[in-house]
Amino acid sequence: MKNILEELRNKRGLTQQELADQVEVSRQTIISLENGRYNPSILLAFRLAHLFQMKIEDIFVFIPEEK
Amino acid sequence: MSNTKNWIEKRMKLGWIMLIIGVTICIVGITSEIKITNRPFDLRIITGLGILFMGIGIGQIVRYRAATKDGVIAKRIVIEEQDERSVLIRAKAGNRAYWVSMGLIYILLMWISFASNGRLVYPDENILWYFLALAIVLPFGVYLFSIIHDERSS
Repeated sequence: MKNILEELRNKRGLTQQELADQVEVSRQTIISLENGRYNPSILLAFRLAHLFQMKIEDIFVFIPEEK
Repeated sequence: MSNTKNWIEKRMKLGWIMLIIGVTICIVGITSEIKITNRPFDLRIITGLGILFMGIGIGQIVRYRAATKDGVIAKRIVIEEQDERSVLIRAKAGNRAYWVSMGLIYILLMWISFASNGRLVYPDENILWYFLALAIVLPFGVYLFSIIHDERSS
């Protein structure tokens, strides 16, 4: 799953720590999310969507696995 | 903020309870060592258990004491502990450690079962001690390794 989290964070001028504090996760989780190594829970996805006032599917892009 | 405060207070309370239990067990252990002479086993095992509880309690109190005074530190500690990625990594590590532990205990159980049938020799005390020590140390090692590995890769 790809996401545009880093782009959105940069647009807002937030540091990773500031974003982490706002959505109540660790900075390491934000790093992993931005690198695409970790997929968030639905609750975290909602928190991020709420923070950036966007839909979840506009932040996180689901790419079906290639067969 | 009240959730954070409650969480920290609960942890502090748990720390104090562990410390009190530890001190009590230690006193019982030391008193028993002095008073009871004809004992079937070494009573220092009770004192040792008390020291373990004391250690856990003190660790808990030291960790959360700063958080009771500073709201920012408190919030950060709670976030770090409840962080969904960390919780997932710890759960995975715990699961792996559990299966390693199960495997080792199963091997020992099979060995003892076969030994009781006379198809294997009974493990002597030394082998048994090392095996049981391994059954504690190896799962813990797997747990730590798994956490370090997953922290880096996920």
